[in-house]
Amino acid sequence: MVKFVIQRLGYMVVTLLIIITITFFLMQLLPGTPFSNPEKLSDRQLEVMNAKYGLDKPLAIQYFTYLGNLIQGDLGVSFQSQGRTVNAMIGERIGPSALIGGQGVVIGLILGLILGVISALKHNTIFDYGAVFIAVLGMSIPSFVFAALMQYYIGVQWGLLPAALWKDYSYSIMPSLALSVLVIATVARFIRSEMLEVLGQDYVNTARAKGIKEVTVILRHVLRNALIPVVTVLGPLAVSIMTGTLVIEKIFAVPGLGEQFTLSILVNDYSVILGITLFYSALFIFVIFIVDILYGILDPRISIGGGKKDGTS
Amino acid sequence: MKKFIFFLFVAAFMIFAAGCGFDNGSEDATSDNEDTTSENDTNNENSESEGDTSGEKVINLTQTADIPTLDSAHAHDGIAFTVLNNVNEGLYRGNENHNPELAMAEDHQISEDGTVHTFTLRDAQWSNGDPVTAHDFEYSWKRIFEVVGHYNVMFETAGIENASAIIDGEKSPDELGVVAEDDKTLVVTLEGPNALFTQLLTFPVFLPQNQAFVEEMGDGYGVEAENILFNGPFVLDSWQHDQGWTYKKNPNYWDADAVNVDEINVNVVKETSTGVNLWETEAVDRILLSSAYVDEFQSDESFNTEVRPSIVFMRFNHNLEQFQNANIRQAIDMAIDKKGLTDTILNNGSVPLYSLVPYEFSYSPDEEKDFRELNGEFNQGSVEEAQELWEEGLSEIGSDGFEVALTVADDENHVKSAEYLKNQLETNLPGLTLEIKTVPFEARLEQEKAVEYDMVVSTWGPDYSDPMTYIDMWVTDGPANRMDYSDETFDQLVADAKVETDAATRYQLMLDAEKQLLDEMHIAPLYQRADSLLTRTNIKGLVRHPAAPEYEYKWIDVE
Amino acid sequence: MAHHKPEITDDLFVHEPLEEGKAEELAGTPSNFWVEAAKRLLKNKGAIMGLITIIIIAILALVGPLMNQYDYQDQDLIRSNLPPLVTGMEWMGFNGEDSHGTNVYAEREVTDAPAWFGTDEFGRDLWTRVWKGTQISLFIALTAAFLDLVIGVIYGGVSAFYGGRVDNVMQRIVEILVGIPNLILIILFILILDPGITSIILAMVITGWVNMSRIVRGQVLQLKGQEFVLASRALGASNKRLMWKHLIPNVMGPIIVTLMFTIPTAIFFEAFLSFIGLGLQPPLASLGTLIEDGYQEMRFFSYKLIFPAIIISAIMISFNVLGDGLRDALDPKMRK
Repeated sequence: MVKFVIQRLGYMVVTLLIIITITFFLMQLLPGTPFSNPEKLSDRQLEVMNAKYGLDKPLAIQYFTYLGNLIQGDLGVSFQSQGRTVNAMIGERIGPSALIGGQGVVIGLILGLILGVISALKHNTIFDYGAVFIAVLGMSIPSFVFAALMQYYIGVQWGLLPAALWKDYSYSIMPSLALSVLVIATVARFIRSEMLEVLGQDYVNTARAKGIKEVTVILRHVLRNALIPVVTVLGPLAVSIMTGTLVIEKIFAVPGLGEQFTLSILVNDYSVILGITLFYSALFIFVIFIVDILYGILDPRISIGGGKKDGTS
Repeated sequence: MKKFIFFLFVAAFMIFAAGCGFDNGSEDATSDNEDTTSENDTNNENSESEGDTSGEKVINLTQTADIPTLDSAHAHDGIAFTVLNNVNEGLYRGNENHNPELAMAEDHQISEDGTVHTFTLRDAQWSNGDPVTAHDFEYSWKRIFEVVGHYNVMFETAGIENASAIIDGEKSPDELGVVAEDDKTLVVTLEGPNALFTQLLTFPVFLPQNQAFVEEMGDGYGVEAENILFNGPFVLDSWQHDQGWTYKKNPNYWDADAVNVDEINVNVVKETSTGVNLWETEAVDRILLSSAYVDEFQSDESFNTEVRPSIVFMRFNHNLEQFQNANIRQAIDMAIDKKGLTDTILNNGSVPLYSLVPYEFSYSPDEEKDFRELNGEFNQGSVEEAQELWEEGLSEIGSDGFEVALTVADDENHVKSAEYLKNQLETNLPGLTLEIKTVPFEARLEQEKAVEYDMVVSTWGPDYSDPMTYIDMWVTDGPANRMDYSDETFDQLVADAKVETDAATRYQLMLDAEKQLLDEMHIAPLYQRADSLLTRTNIKGLVRHPAAPEYEYKWIDVE
Repeated sequence: MAHHKPEITDDLFVHEPLEEGKAEELAGTPSNFWVEAAKRLLKNKGAIMGLITIIIIAILALVGPLMNQYDYQDQDLIRSNLPPLVTGMEWMGFNGEDSHGTNVYAEREVTDAPAWFGTDEFGRDLWTRVWKGTQISLFIALTAAFLDLVIGVIYGGVSAFYGGRVDNVMQRIVEILVGIPNLILIILFILILDPGITSIILAMVITGWVNMSRIVRGQVLQLKGQEFVLASRALGASNKRLMWKHLIPNVMGPIIVTLMFTIPTAIFFEAFLSFIGLGLQPPLASLGTLIEDGYQEMRFFSYKLIFPAIIISAIMISFNVLGDGLRDALDPKMRK
């Protein structure tokens, strides 16, 4: 197991290196320059600026220079906001994103679990259809419409929460709620479908036959097994929500990372693209790693470490 | 084994939590920020409640993006220019009528040949107590060349001695024609007389910088509110990246008596709908509307539209045979119902444009007449006339129709315009097929610069308040030409205007140049942009200049 | 189950040589399974309702644009921003009045056929555009979902089934794919291929299948240690057979649920692409772009948002109910 963990950590480094390499070279193919206000930049200015930032050097040299700095933990300086280091930009932006994302995932997980369990236990009843309806509506109405409606009613009409901006804790509640919609839908659908599956299994009948309390059966036997696909989806979903979502951050004027990332790609802010890509992939790969380990804990029948045991016969 | 796995899980979770410790750290930082902002909030509340008694005046504005940088050498966008203009001050400042007025300089002497300008500075100080000296100007101006600022070409436009040569790398920044003779006297040498010089001096690249402070801050100069010094009507009290910033009245400003408000908060709001909701909760006092909201608010007394000098037009690729034909270009331009475009489709106050230089932008030096009034509107006519031109053009190139692509950037209004143009042109000009190609902004620009398009919807905003900012775009091989247009007569007119010292003659040359370009419609102007805005009716005295720096908060007031 | 069981000793077992034909015999009659599944599906009222709704929407998507005299790209500025009006259905809100309560038709003296769903700022008929958009959205979403399904199931299944080194390598490839910002890939893709429906679908599929493959992999990992798989393997089933006959059918539930998520994701992702200039070229419309446009104006011209939003929700709910029904019908464990 220890060997497995070390091996995976080694793979992580290699994977990240490949991601950075591919992104680095692909990024160069995007049209345009990394400098801001390109509309007014003349070719002559461009030449001088390329020279200043070392962009006139061969790509290979730029690449190794970048890797060199990366090893020292330096992600470079933004082209668009001169003087701002990418480290500082990510550091400042991830806080709000992680806060609203984290809250959104927690709210979504709790509500989604409740909805999912209700609809599975009351299969094919009005409760089930109601829960399915809510979950499906949650994913078929785009989050921007939902967020805008929330902002208008909760923020403007009823004045319960601040409509937008980012000043104190109360400002984080509405964006979190808006983000939780997708999580609720995802969790509820998977829990329902999985629980239905598990409820029909022999060991559940056995457990019931043994006279174990229904609550215990549901919690220990059914829910635990139903959680596995949820973990698979929820891990990566949590990463992508917590590292920032363009739409919600824009609508609620939250200074998060999601908006920054899309913008940096559209304006070719090379160092910011690479920095956020690295940050995001590292987090993502790490969470997948955790998810793989969680499989083992949630379901003892799975062994991911020893492939040979149950590999090809 | 199970226990071990459990332990491993806990350990992994701790690592994960520690990984989020990064987040937690910044969350702490945010909560610190939150604390400070909420303190500010309470301050605001205090100040507002005091406002009733002591008359503290606070205004809340919005911007669509963060300030990229506050280093005047690197600043390159409207938002940074506006902030710099209000927290710093150069030799001149634009007044309510957009004319340059002496600011940091109290006197300006010009030599007889118009090349040597001597400025005498008034007594003023930086926010750290240092006096503002002529050396601060000399340092800042030369520094722009050392750090290769975006807008160092403004020095070339201003005609300051050696600016071109320094940009080309033939001379060193030290040789720029600016010398501080003593703490109070700044001497600027031009390569020739320049009618635009004082106008250009209001542009933020000409702001002073305190050498000792800049060097102390190093790379961090202008990155945070604490990393810059102020000598303007306001100081930047706080700057939360991507959330907003706060101006406070600068008590040490030389003309502090003219400044009426005590505090201006600017919030970064990227969505119009968000802005509208904030407006309705009274969190902000002025917002920009998109056309979708115009119908809803246009009868509101807070509603107004402001015509801006930036223009939207189509470039024709002059390498294509069909676009070398004057009749075809004229037909395409004439066949578009531009009024329908601005009034129904865009619906945001934009004005149909039939020329290069926009309305209400420039006035003749002698008669004070609008450039537009003097040159009139080009190529107006009915659809039938357009069709006649079209038939004639087609027979001249020996064709009965053709298909062209219209490249357009992914801006909402531009895409709408393109959809409208496609319908107008295909309906009105039989035989013409238009294929719309929407591309990201950067891609449009790249295709435009390489002249790899058929027709493209382009924009241009003025760099300074003079028609030349539009006219010199079209000289042969000019960096803004981007359509391989080349006309000797036109080039000559522009070259003459640039060296002409008599203001009236120079103006006439520019009028002639516009005629030369538009008599045969080498471009197809579409509309002049306008902003639809909501502004609280008690806010007065906000000055908006046609060219950068855009906003002047110095005289703003709340009644 | 009432067989008498003799004592079993090891020597009773003889190793049977592997025979492909033998395996088929043991499989029983496959046609029964499908007939049974269809029967089960027909019994499920919800699923049938869903199926009918989908069929109606699909028919309207094809026929709707032809039902009045307007083409989806006909512009007419006099008809700009007309509210919905259906003669005889005024009481339902289709009364031609705007948010201020003025009858726009009377005010502008529009006398030609009323716009059932209203018109946009170009005066284009939204009824026609909404159904045209449904047509395009359904095509894009279904194609993308299908490709995601095929690639995802094969990739995830193979990766988990073979496990070990194969799984390791395949999962690292997935991580790399997910790590590279897909917006970069998509921009490059579309700049090379020219914007259009094909490039949108391909761009969506590049990374779209990853989620599906992860779900399938997780499930197969869980299943392959279970008794019925071991049993089947002991009976000499080939790898291919194990996967297709035993593992995949058992993963049907999560696959269908994931597929249901793929469809709205595809529709909205297409809208996002159009929004940044990489999607459909105007004047073509899709449900996603209509919702995106409608959202901008939802406060004053709410009809521009409501109709496409209702249709997309109806599509989604129907697919989900149908999906659930399908899952129940296909689930081998539900066989009686």
